[in-house]
Amino acid sequence: MTEFVSVYAFWTIWLFVHLILAVGLLGALTHQAMAVALPARQPSGGIVTRFRSVSAAGYATAVCVLWVLTFLVGSFIYTKYRTYIRIPLEEGHYYKTGGFFDFKENVATLGLVLLPAYWYFWKNVENPEYDNARKGVTLVLAVMCWFLFIVGHVLNNTRGFGS
Amino acid sequence: MSLSKTTTSDIAPWSSSLAHSRKFKAFATTFSISGPVVYCAVEFFNWPLVTYWPATNRLVWGYEGMTKGEGPNMLWYGWTVTTVLIAAALGIVAMMLPERVTNKIPLALVWIFPILAIPYVIYALMPWWTLAMRH
Repeated sequence: MTEFVSVYAFWTIWLFVHLILAVGLLGALTHQAMAVALPARQPSGGIVTRFRSVSAAGYATAVCVLWVLTFLVGSFIYTKYRTYIRIPLEEGHYYKTGGFFDFKENVATLGLVLLPAYWYFWKNVENPEYDNARKGVTLVLAVMCWFLFIVGHVLNNTRGFGS
Repeated sequence: MSLSKTTTSDIAPWSSSLAHSRKFKAFATTFSISGPVVYCAVEFFNWPLVTYWPATNRLVWGYEGMTKGEGPNMLWYGWTVTTVLIAAALGIVAMMLPERVTNKIPLALVWIFPILAIPYVIYALMPWWTLAMRH
């Protein structure tokens, strides 16, 4: 691969792929979380009402696929993070930044293991037995996703693109 | 011997049949409920299935502590794989249980356990927070 692009460009492309997947995941999960937390009674109205009134069940498989893909690409980039990013962070005493990244990796795994039940609950959206569990797991995943995204963004600002 | 007729359910997508399978429900809910608990236990007891050495691109079975000249080791991959395997095994066991047993599993645990796991995860990262407070 390094015959076609530089090592720097190679990892930057993967970081960018990770970002694009994360943006898609964040959008899908936020739509779903809004739809379950504040369901809109009628689809028309302002932008916030329209945002809440999506057909939330249709996002379930996409969310699972995007979470797994983002997780896999993130895991791949992580190998370079451990040597080329984390060590300079420690040398610069950016311990909170490093700690929050480790927190992020743990949260990503905790989210990953929720996906089978999350998918099942959304695929049985007509069954009221799963309403509360579906709402709870969707909100937890949405909060996790925002946390992962913000920590990743801050870390990228600390030592990411262009560093 | 009569040939079975093709019904709507026969040609339905795999995801549809999976979504309405009681066995898959038992697997999915058990996997997701046990996952956060297993992950905390795996991290606490430090049971990575593999240890990865990024500087030397070396992957070894189980836990391997820091050694000179090999750079840092990575345990998170191993913790994640161990967690997935144990949670999947528990899910498979749940599939074999009678429905009256698996129906008693409180579904709310799917979102309660990951929330309860967060304080432990923060605690497990104490070396980072301690260093942050000192500098």
